[in-house]
Order: sequence, then structure tokens, then C-alpha cells
Amino acid sequence: MHERRAAGLAGREYPGLLDAGLGGTGLVADDLYLLAHDDRTGRALLPPRPLGTGLAGALLAELMLARLIGLRSDTAVMIAHDAPTAAVRRHVLLALIAAEPGPLPVQAWLGYLGQTAVRDVAARLEHAGYLTRVRSRMPGRGGRMVPVNPDWAFAPMTRVRPALDPARQVTAYAVVLAGLAVASGLGFRLDQYQAQAGRNAEEAVAHLPPDLRQLITQTQITVSSAVLSQRT
Amino acid sequence: MSMHAAPARGGTVSRALARDKLGVLAVLAFILASIAPMTVAAGVIPTAYAITGLAGIPAAFLVTAVVLGLFCPGYVAMSRRIRNAGAFYAFASAGLGRVTGVAAALMALLAYESFQVATYGALGPAAQAEAAAHLGVHWPWWAWALVIWAVVTALGLARVEVAGRVLAVLTAAEIAIVVAETISGLASPAGGHLDLGALSPSALTASGAGTLGVLAVIAGLAFVGFEQSPVLGEETRNARRTIPAATYTALAAIGALYAAAAWAMQAHAGPAHVAAAAEAQGPGLLYGLSSSGALAQAAQALFMTSLFAAALSYHNVTWRYMFALSREGVLPAALSRTSRASIPRAASLLQSGSALAVIAVFAVAGWPAMNGLFFGGGAMGGLGVMILLALTSAAVIRYFDIHPGQESLWARMAAPALGALLLGTAIVLAIWHFGTLIGAGPGNPAAWLLPSAFGAAAVAGLGWGAFLRAHRPDVYATIGLGAHAAAGHAAHASGRKLS
Repeated sequence: MHERRAAGLAGREYPGLLDAGLGGTGLVADDLYLLAHDDRTGRALLPPRPLGTGLAGALLAELMLARLIGLRSDTAVMIAHDAPTAAVRRHVLLALIAAEPGPLPVQAWLGYLGQTAVRDVAARLEHAGYLTRVRSRMPGRGGRMVPVNPDWAFAPMTRVRPALDPARQVTAYAVVLAGLAVASGLGFRLDQYQAQAGRNAEEAVAHLPPDLRQLITQTQITVSSAVLSQRT
Repeated sequence: MSMHAAPARGGTVSRALARDKLGVLAVLAFILASIAPMTVAAGVIPTAYAITGLAGIPAAFLVTAVVLGLFCPGYVAMSRRIRNAGAFYAFASAGLGRVTGVAAALMALLAYESFQVATYGALGPAAQAEAAAHLGVHWPWWAWALVIWAVVTALGLARVEVAGRVLAVLTAAEIAIVVAETISGLASPAGGHLDLGALSPSALTASGAGTLGVLAVIAGLAFVGFEQSPVLGEETRNARRTIPAATYTALAAIGALYAAAAWAMQAHAGPAHVAAAAEAQGPGLLYGLSSSGALAQAAQALFMTSLFAAALSYHNVTWRYMFALSREGVLPAALSRTSRASIPRAASLLQSGSALAVIAVFAVAGWPAMNGLFFGGGAMGGLGVMILLALTSAAVIRYFDIHPGQESLWARMAAPALGALLLGTAIVLAIWHFGTLIGAGPGNPAAWLLPSAFGAAAVAGLGWGAFLRAHRPDVYATIGLGAHAAAGHAAHASGRKLS
């Protein structure tokens, strides 16, 4: 339903950019950010700590899907042996991982990246043309990030769908996105795609390679800990 | 980190994470705020005098601080080794087995629930008095309790918590006012003579040895909140030093503050008249220690903010317990399903709903708010926490027996054994004299019904734990892990295939 409305509205307003915008950036953290915010107002649907942790997990998942990093059995984050040196040097996060004196457990990375992940991913989406900054009506408060096009902001819902719908071809990308969405506390967003005969995100995640699975589990633990702690 | 920044130098992440950590003062502020000093000084102490009339209340605070001091070494040592260290049932699970862990979890839920509901019994009358005095509005206490209940429910669902800094400022103000009132009270004792007898251990048994348990529960409930310190273990700088330092400082400071405040009230009214004065004045027993109207007004306002913060905080503690247990699969999955704002709505609403039911029963039955709901609920919660402390002490001994390490004999055996023995004795005496504790006359079934609720929770927990062990080994394996249960469930799920 939403998709039909989306095509109509967006078609009139953004005729040239329609297809590109609906296709997404292909980056898990970008899609998770859009899932975690209202597609019109841009307001966050999660408190800062769970949201930051989920996005931190997504930033690591991007590198893991590209086979540039992996997790050791003790959950330490390692650069892949065959990761091209040039790529490591060019990518800020990879360079940061490489610069640490020793491998750090994924929980440490989630904690560290989570502190700024919301801002960082928003900046990336702004750069890609998905978000725009509007000035706040309240004096003294910084601007707020708002989707440029609500339909582009809604589109990740369609990309997460293959993970939950047995009739569709499962992709690792969709499963990782669904797994991280549930781990972050966005399960309520996926409910509408939870068909009776469908599988749930946990079942889909069970089929991922071990380190992606572990990353999602550790993200869920960190988010749950944030929900349990008083500092959200 | 910015995604567009230049690559960082080595060790950036470890350094940045270390910078975010808490020191002794921050942990101390957190513990003191959890204890809610004004709720105890203006609420628990005067009501305890009114109901029990026991002269040993000041001494009980000092002795209880020492007993809790015995509890702490093992508790703190074990909290470094286990996950989900904020929850008593995690200790019971790790030390005494998961079946006992489920029983401990249900008793803890009941205890925290009792504390939460109890706050309405003091908030209602306090708001009633303020509204009558300043606004000319004359609603019954339960109407105000319902208004405050609605606010707590709404804030709970929106996940609004009193910010740490605000709480720290309020707590500091509460302590300052209790100290000022105490000094005033001690400076003007009844008959012009200050009697040290109330602080002597002999005061504990002045009304018979059986009242020891009653005093222990009253004093014990006043300290509830101190056990929260290990929650911050992972967020603390040099946790090995910081957590014990903050915990013992808090115990000593709070023990001294309460003992002095209770002593001042007794000295000011006169030992023979303190019970009657407390009955007549309620929280005014504290406010009246000084002749300053401004101080009394500030104390009254802080009593309400302290109670309100406690109501919200216990609401949050209760749903967090349900959330953790539900994550493990011990309670239904719906209780950990979060909505916007990362709040498990079902758990939050379940807590609010049960509180509403209790307020409604008290309103319909016409039972007293302060002496019934506040003190009865508080006493029940206090008894529950003492049972959990004793169980935890036993769990510490058993845990270090199974998993020996570098811990000293004092921390792993001697201190917890002494603590368990003293707490166990106090629990038996408290249950025996529960009628005295809550001021229930002979033949009042509340005297045995309330403590037996913990028996029922324990039996239900043991039964459910045994069922899980037999029929749901995946759930059983993760009992006590809280948020970390996800790792156990994921390992189990990866062994299954999609149908």
C-alpha cells in the first residue's frame, strides 16, 4: 500500500531521481538509520544509546559483508587477511581497527562507534542526498535531519522483506538488516511483514555465517544492556 | 569518530572508552540517589516509631550498616565474575543453581513491586496535605495517589527518567536538610538532656529479643538501593577499587545519617513520647525538629520529590527485571518486546496495572495509606530484600567453592557466612513478629499473609525452574544471564534449520 502511494508522490516531486533514491545506498547502516527514523519527520524511533549501538553494529556489518573484517572466536574484531592494503588505508573505520595496538572485542567497538554512529551515518546519508538538515524552531538547538523524500526513507522496509518472506530469495544483506533491526529494538517496525507463514528474523539470522551471526548477537546484548542500564 | 576524519593514532578506542568511565564520586552519587534519603528520614522512620514504638530504631541503623558491610565483600567479589551483576537472581543462579535463581527472581519482582506500590501510600497523603494547605483542594489521599500513578505510568511508557544530575542535586539537598534538622533536634532535646541510650546495642533488645528482626527489616529497607553499585561495574574506572570504596562510603554515611536522624527525633520528642508524636505528626516528626518554617517547607517539598523519584525508579527496576527474565525466556517473550523509546510496553503496563489494583483495593477497603500501604509495602519489600541478601550470601560461598580464585578467605567465606547467619536470624525473627512490624493486631491475617507471599513466589519459582530444566533446556541454560541470554539463544538457534 505504502509503495503504491510512494511511487505516485515521489514520481511527481522527484521525477529524475526516483529510481536511484528508492534503490538505496547499498549500505546496511544507511538502511538501518532510515528504518529507525520516521520517514517524514526524521524523528528517531529509538533512544540514542540503542540506536547508536545498532548503527555501530551495522557499520561493522558493512565491512563484514564486504569480507574486509571478521570476528575471532573470542569476538575480537580482526582485519581480513586478504583485505587489500589500499582499502584499509582509505577506509576510516578499517584504518582505525588496524591502528589499535591489539584486537579489541566487538563490544568495545560497539561502545566506541555507538557514541557517534548516529551523527556519522546521518552525515553520510546527507552527503548521499537522502537527508537534509532543517533548522530547529527552538533557538539554541542544532538542526534536525529530515528525509529528502519520505518514499526513499521508507524504501528500506522493502529491502528487509526478503529476510522474512519465505516466498522471496533470501539475501545476506536483507537478513543482516533484519537481524540488526530486531537487535536494536526495531522489531515493531517489521511486524507488518511478519506473515503467518513467514519466518522470524532470529530464524533467518541462524543461517548467516558465524561472524555475522555473532555480530548481531553482540549488538543485541549491548542494546539489551543499554535498555537495562539507566544511562540511555 | 567521524567517518571523514583522518585515521587515528594507536589506542584511540581504548582511551576514548576509558574517558567515558565513572569515578568514586559518580558511583557514590548513584548509590545515594538509589537509597532516596528523604523517603526514609521523613517517611520510614516516623512511621516506624508510630507503628512499632521501638526505642532501638537508631541503634538498628548502625548495626544494619555493619551487617550489610559483612554482606558486601563477597557480593562485590562475585559481581566481578558474573554477568547481569545488577540482579540478585543472577547471583543465586550462579551459586545455588538456576532453579533457585528463578525462585529468587520471582521474590525480587515481588519485593520491588511492593516498594513501588508502597510509595503511593506516602505520596497520596503528602500531596493531600500540600493541596489542602496551599490550594484549598480537599481530595482523598487515593485520588492524589491515582493522579501520581497516572503520571508515573505515562513517564514510564515514554521512558522518561529523572536525569542523574537532577537526582544528584536533589539527593544532596535531601541530605543537607536531614542533617540540618537532625542537628536542630539534637540541640533541643526534650527535658534538656541528650540520652545516648538509643544508640547503644542494648536498645535493640529493650522490648524483647524478638523485636530484633522487626528492627532489622525497618533498617534494612532503609538501605535498599545500596546493592545497585555492581550494576556500574563495567562503566567504572578501576572498578576493583571504585565499587567497594563507593559502596562502603555510602553504607557508613547513610547508616550514620539515619541513626542520627532517628536519634534526634527520639531525643526531641522524648523517648517516652516519640511513638505518640510520630502517630500525630507523621513526616512532621522530622520537619518539626527545627523551628525554621522554610526548612520544614523545603523538607516537605523534597519528601515529595524523593518519593516520586523512588516511585519512578522502582517502576523502572520492576520492568527491567521483567525485561531481563523475558529475554532469557523465563517470563513470556511479550515482556521484553520493546516499542518506540525502547520500552517494553507490556512489562511497564503490567507493573502499572498491578499498582493500580493495589491502590484501588486500599481505597475501596478504606485501609490506611501511610501506616498501611506505605509501611506495609515497605516492610514487605524490606523482608524480601533481606531474604535475597541472605540467599546471595549463601550463593557467594557456594560459587567460590565451585569456582575458586584469588579472593581472600574473608571475602569468599567468612564475611558472607557471618552475613548469611545474621540475616537468616533476622528474617526468621521478622517473619515471627511480622504483626508487630506492620502494626497488625492479633488475628489480623496480614501478619502471615504478607510474608507467605514470598513463600508462594519461591515455590512457584522452584516449580517453574524445575519445569524449564526438564522441558526447555535452551531456556534453562540462559537463566541468570539477562541481556547476555541472547548469546545462549543464538548458539541454540544456529543448530536448527529453517523449515
